[in-house]
Amino acid sequence: MASSIPTGEPTGDAPPTSRLIVLALLPAALFLLAWRALDGGFEAHWTWIPTFGLDFGILIDGLALQFIALITGVGTAVFVYGAGYLAGDPKRARIFGLLLAFMVAMLGCVTSTNLLGLFIFWELTSVISFLLVGTKHEYEATRKSAQQALMVTGAGGLSLLAGVVLLGQVAGTYAIPEIVATSEAWIDHPWVPAALLCLFGGAFTKSAQFPFHFWLPNAMAAPTPVSAYLHSATMVKLGIYLLARLHPAFGDLPLWQGTLIGVGGFTSVWSMVLAVKERDLKRILAWSTVSALGTLVMVIGLPGPGAATAAATFLLAHALYKAPLFFVAGNVDIAAGTRDIDKLAAMGRRMPYTALAALLAGASMSGLPLSYGFVAKDIIKLAKSQADVVTLVAWSGVFVGAASVAAAGVAAIRVFWHSGGRPLPPEIREVRWSMRIPPLVIGATGIVFGLAPWLAEPLLALSAAAMHTVDDGSAFDVEPGTPGWTAVAVTIVLGIGMFVVWDPLHRALHRVRFPKRLTPGHAYESFVRSIPHAAAAVARLVQHGRIRLYAQLSLGFLALGLLWVVARLEVPQWPSYQPPSIPIIGATVALVAASITVCVVRDRFLLLLAGGLVGLACAVVFVFGGAPDVAFTQLTVEVALVVVIASVLLRMRRIGVGGDILATDSIAKGSNNSTAAGDRPRLDPLSWPRMLIAVVTGVSVATLLLVSVMGPFDPAVPRFFAEHSVPDAHGHNVVNVILVDFRAFDTFGEVCVLLFAVLAMLPLFAALRGRRRAP
Amino acid sequence: MTPPTPPTPLTPRPLVLTTSARALYPIMLLISVWVLLRGHNQPGGGFIGGTIAVAATSLWAVAFGAKDALGRIPLGPVRLGAGGALLALSSGVLGPLVGRPFLTHLWVDLDLAVTTIPLSTVLPFDLGVYATVWASLGAICAHAIGLDEEAEA
Repeated sequence: MASSIPTGEPTGDAPPTSRLIVLALLPAALFLLAWRALDGGFEAHWTWIPTFGLDFGILIDGLALQFIALITGVGTAVFVYGAGYLAGDPKRARIFGLLLAFMVAMLGCVTSTNLLGLFIFWELTSVISFLLVGTKHEYEATRKSAQQALMVTGAGGLSLLAGVVLLGQVAGTYAIPEIVATSEAWIDHPWVPAALLCLFGGAFTKSAQFPFHFWLPNAMAAPTPVSAYLHSATMVKLGIYLLARLHPAFGDLPLWQGTLIGVGGFTSVWSMVLAVKERDLKRILAWSTVSALGTLVMVIGLPGPGAATAAATFLLAHALYKAPLFFVAGNVDIAAGTRDIDKLAAMGRRMPYTALAALLAGASMSGLPLSYGFVAKDIIKLAKSQADVVTLVAWSGVFVGAASVAAAGVAAIRVFWHSGGRPLPPEIREVRWSMRIPPLVIGATGIVFGLAPWLAEPLLALSAAAMHTVDDGSAFDVEPGTPGWTAVAVTIVLGIGMFVVWDPLHRALHRVRFPKRLTPGHAYESFVRSIPHAAAAVARLVQHGRIRLYAQLSLGFLALGLLWVVARLEVPQWPSYQPPSIPIIGATVALVAASITVCVVRDRFLLLLAGGLVGLACAVVFVFGGAPDVAFTQLTVEVALVVVIASVLLRMRRIGVGGDILATDSIAKGSNNSTAAGDRPRLDPLSWPRMLIAVVTGVSVATLLLVSVMGPFDPAVPRFFAEHSVPDAHGHNVVNVILVDFRAFDTFGEVCVLLFAVLAMLPLFAALRGRRRAP
Repeated sequence: MTPPTPPTPLTPRPLVLTTSARALYPIMLLISVWVLLRGHNQPGGGFIGGTIAVAATSLWAVAFGAKDALGRIPLGPVRLGAGGALLALSSGVLGPLVGRPFLTHLWVDLDLAVTTIPLSTVLPFDLGVYATVWASLGAICAHAIGLDEEAEA
């Protein structure tokens, strides 16, 4: 997908490193500052919305510190590298701004003590990732990749929110330290598995675990600094962070262990198989990132004391080799204009610094002795042996290790030293200094830590302690003393073998016809394609445009609701009969007569007039019932309504649908309006439900009114207004005082509704007019 | 006020209708304003006043056409409606400025030599309600009435 997009920047006289490089001082300063938290940690707390238990707190413990070190350390390298990579790119300011915002979101996510705060920053990283993947939005493939990244991680974010809320309900708090501390009290709650599954949904989408793994390689459409930062070193590790953070609470659950080991183990193996199917250097690295994330997920799920240490160590090791390898891929891309490993060969002679960085990082990725990757793999092996996992899981490590050796060989040996028999294009030359130094520094750090693992120990011990189940100090008691030399040798030899037969393996894998419809990526595609169809089907179902059915539906629900209310009414005593006044009797007679007319009349104009009469009679009742304001309003509204509907009816009659009400359905069916006066149409069978709805609504309202009249009248509200109207609001008309003073905010809202209604209707009227003019 | 010659649609427009509309329209508007102003102490107020003005606009729309009726709404319906809502909103902002909740109305007795006139932020609020009701409901009614006439235009 990505190969169709021109990736190479112009070689030759490229512009100098962008001045945006000064922004690298920001993560660098934060990186140095963070070490102050190494002894003692840091805590701060602000109350935000206490009613929802929403606080904003910051806690920097070992785990957070390790992530901060990753975010700011790799961040510094990415900002330096990006200034060189994006030199002259018109979008560089946008990318740098987004990268800064991303860094803030990441820092917020790993330091937030509140799960909801974590969620907000988590979503922020998804959105920024979407914007960064879509940097080259001129290309459709890029837009699709960006959308896919957002859809997958966004859906995962929703799942995470559901899990967070469930967890908060179960635990009674959203504060992560309290959740971890009190977990034993509620761990048997029946909702815990559901909450866990939702949390898994968030973590697995973010960290690209099977079956959500497909978005990460597609996200390689982003510029290389972005890929190195977001999609390898930091953002995709947020899922790992969440799991590590909650591990002390759930680490002993079989569901937790089983899911993490199963999903992580499978992902780590399967993604290496998929890596062999690729020819694009960046995508190969992306698949190996997915594999590393799978390993991390699996390691966190391992029971036993060594797991936390193994996770912390591998987390560091992976960042130290994968970020430089991405930088190397970017350098190759810039120098040669392609990332296709078939077109790349023997670049080492022209790009010695990049080749050296590739070698340093590749050694660590392969887990060669004396590199930090070796230390990490050793500790993982130890953790597995402690956890007493099934042999399959243990041996999956050998395959993943071998495939990593092969992939590292492709990135570090094949591209740079394997000639392939073709002459090297003369324009290929080493990239500028700002793109050489970051991979060299980070790659060398990986080797330094490999030679002296104790340098990293203070940080990793703290980090492991933070994600360890039992805080007994045993977390870092893993002696890296006796490496299983046989296993190392087997892995490396197998890996070299795979590296040698990489091309045949690639072809063989492409010959395997795996049913494409079963792949998760294809499932995602068909899901996205089905959205417009589903939306259209729903719209057709509920937005059919038949006003009668709309009214039937809403009134039907009203009738049901009324029936529900009336059915549980307690009927108090029958009220004493008070003879009404003469005007009320007159109005009531008119009301009843008009209502009966409404029921029997079939001409629309008569129907409208009779309906208006009902309203007028009501107004009269209001006048003599002591509510002149209501009567006033009723009167004017009724008049305006009748006039307006009459003019609409005139229009309907002119186009031939305005006559007998029972004739409309036949019009709708296409026959013309030929209901002669003589032949009375039979009652439409469709009108039975309507009659039922009408009768139920009428009887229910009548009963409701009757019962409310029967009950004792509480005069508290009218007394309040009678007493407070003049002194507080200087008005004698209580209704108006309520409208403009006591409940003025409601009135203002209603006024706004009117305004919005007219704003919405003006285009509708304009469209109607336009449609009529058109033919 | 020179009413235009009635346009062709809905024609022939009854002479009785056009003549009486010409006479009734200003009277109805006057009544609506009167109802608006007396509202605080007697039946009436901005909402009722506004609906009376809407009735006047509907009458004019039936007699002389929707376009003409809409043209008679000062500032035009959208601007009058929005202005009314803004007026009502701004009348409530004074409250917070003197440390009271939003939409708390303030009263000042303006002392003239002859009499005292109570002034308050209630009046602009009610005026805003009146303007918005007239503008929005009037526009909707006039447009609906105009549906038929423009069929032939």
